[in-house]
Amino acid sequence: MKSVRVLLAVAGNSFYESVRHRFFLLFAVFAFTAIYASVLAGVMAVDQEARVLADFGLALMELTALAYALFTASSVLLREAETKTIYLVFSRPVPRWAYLGGKLAGALLTAALMLVVMGGMHLALLALRGFGAPACYGWAVLGSFLKLSVITSAAFFVSLFSTSAVSTMVISGVLWTAGHFVSEARFLADKAHGVSAAALKGAMLLIPNLQLFNARDAAGAACALPPAAFAAAAAWTLGACLAALWLLSRKEF
Amino acid sequence: MPRLLLPAALLAWLAGGLAASGAYVPHYPPPYEIRVPAAGAAGDMFSLALGARRLFADLWFVRLMQYYGTQEDIGEEEEECPEHPGQHHHHHGLNGEGSYPEFLPRARHILELDPHFATAGLYGAGALAFNLDRTAEAQELLNFGIKQSPREWKYPLLLAAIGYSKAKEPMKVAEAIRPFLSDPDCPVMLKQLAAFLNKRAGNLAAAAAIYADIAATSKDTAYVANARRELAKLSSRVPAK
Amino acid sequence: MSAHAVSFSAVEKTYKRPGFLGASYTTAVKDLSFEIPAGEITGLLGLNGAGKTTIMKLLTGLIFPSAGKVKVFGHAPTEGAAKARVGFLPELPYFPPHLKPAEALAYYGRLSGLAGPALAQAVRAAMDRTGLEPHAGKRVSEFSKGMLQRLGLAQALLHDPDLLVLDEPVSGLDPLAIHDIRGLLAGLNAEGRAVFLSSHSISEVEKLCSRVLIMVKGRLAAVVKRAQWEAAPGGLETIFVEAVR
Repeated sequence: MKSVRVLLAVAGNSFYESVRHRFFLLFAVFAFTAIYASVLAGVMAVDQEARVLADFGLALMELTALAYALFTASSVLLREAETKTIYLVFSRPVPRWAYLGGKLAGALLTAALMLVVMGGMHLALLALRGFGAPACYGWAVLGSFLKLSVITSAAFFVSLFSTSAVSTMVISGVLWTAGHFVSEARFLADKAHGVSAAALKGAMLLIPNLQLFNARDAAGAACALPPAAFAAAAAWTLGACLAALWLLSRKEF
Repeated sequence: MPRLLLPAALLAWLAGGLAASGAYVPHYPPPYEIRVPAAGAAGDMFSLALGARRLFADLWFVRLMQYYGTQEDIGEEEEECPEHPGQHHHHHGLNGEGSYPEFLPRARHILELDPHFATAGLYGAGALAFNLDRTAEAQELLNFGIKQSPREWKYPLLLAAIGYSKAKEPMKVAEAIRPFLSDPDCPVMLKQLAAFLNKRAGNLAAAAAIYADIAATSKDTAYVANARRELAKLSSRVPAK
Repeated sequence: MSAHAVSFSAVEKTYKRPGFLGASYTTAVKDLSFEIPAGEITGLLGLNGAGKTTIMKLLTGLIFPSAGKVKVFGHAPTEGAAKARVGFLPELPYFPPHLKPAEALAYYGRLSGLAGPALAQAVRAAMDRTGLEPHAGKRVSEFSKGMLQRLGLAQALLHDPDLLVLDEPVSGLDPLAIHDIRGLLAGLNAEGRAVFLSSHSISEVEKLCSRVLIMVKGRLAAVVKRAQWEAAPGGLETIFVEAVR
């Protein structure tokens, strides 16, 4: 119970520190970009303005939240080690799993809040232009959040062995990109033979299939996320967290 | 306990992979279907990498409309433009005349990225068949759409309408595309075609209703202006109720 | 209960630094054995790179020994039972500049397992004890170096530890701040807490400590009691200079 309180304390602190700093700047950037896009979209898309606004907004929301999540996950542990804040944490009876769990929870809570607030701004913009909420909007935002939870936990893991925040962000970004190519990899695996087929199929198991959560790109087809998507997100997030904990338990400060 | 962490992590990660492989249903055609018609390969890479095929399909749709909306210089052997003496070009007016050789590849590319973007498919096929008079290309586009999105009922319906158009049966064309008209995503060009065909067949009330819908719902100023003009003409011919 | 707050037994710590052509190894402390008695103030002296901070980190569980054993109140330093009884002040502690002292202390208090009224009481007591009460309304960004050290001490006191581990507690402070910190530490020791502090300032160590460990290149060169340096001509400084030469 004490450890859970510690986890909540770390999560609350992590969330508060995030909200305080880059939050509003990112929101302001999002709001400005969305408004600018709406002007352009209205001119160029003509009768497809609703679709273009919806797609642009959802993609921008996801990328904004991703950028923030990767930046936080890549730098928070490094920064606390550099400023020796981490000495004040781990000289206390703070279990490393509670610290890591709290940091991840704080990052995901911030990402969730960003998605909710940006979603509200997006829907308000659509309403201003005379459009209702697009089909599958809730699933799209939820799918984005599940993607973020997988990539953020993976970024925490990478940050514990990489040499800089930049390299962590690059590796996590590559994983994000690779996660959207799994269906293409599957196609190639079906066409290939022998060792290359086995290697591709192995890679498909190891790279998280982020297309599974891509409801915003599937609207038009069935967009509801299946229960297995939630299970997969939980398993990948847990796997990355356990791997990060393995590294953190051996790490010296 | 720390010794078990790494094996447990790998197990959890693989469990995620297995859960995903069982549940994942691809919504999009495989990459070999993508052929880049103009400079844009980098954009297509981003569309795949960011999981944003719908967005990039939207951008290609905008590019198609911009392409179709720019005037073509057609050489001095053609007639002078009545609005610009001394110049030889088409205006992309309401009837969309012109050659626009890249129209089919660009329209097809939209469906290669997002085969569920039915409005783009209908717009492209409708423009090819009824404006540019290239029914074979229109049919090719619709057949591609049917192949990628077999449940999309609008493609076979428009295919039928094109068939009737080739057979010079305008009323059957109008009948074939009538189910589209109530769909909020119906391309305005098809609505205009339906209004025109109804007007030609003497169904003035039906034509007026469609023109009124265009005027009320479309954001394309050219179509709206034309619809208002036609409504003004029709109002003198349709008896008041 | 052990009479020793800390015991080091044949401890060695070697740092591994990965490199392009292979790892390099640096032995920071070797064959280190000593005890820190409970309830006393023990000083740690040494030149830069002698291993002082390594010792501090070993006994706070921030790093792990390559060989030997470290015990804190009979427990391994990584165990919660040990950490709950240790308050650590690292050199030049960092606090988020936008926070007020009570907010920063509340966070670390929660990490120490405090909650509710007990947390509020602990924060008040720590601020009172370290003289931060008059500055409660200021943000950390407005704090002087001396006030930051006080805040660092306050966070170390929150959970009422039996052992205070202080790495260079008076580094960079003016004489008045040093005097205040010294008085504070003496008061804490008078309450029965053990204090283990490292310093470059021989005079400070002389004034506060009852015994001093002198580190030279990772080895314990000497253990000197107050009676010894008071009897020696030139005092602790002469003993120290002889040990490091």
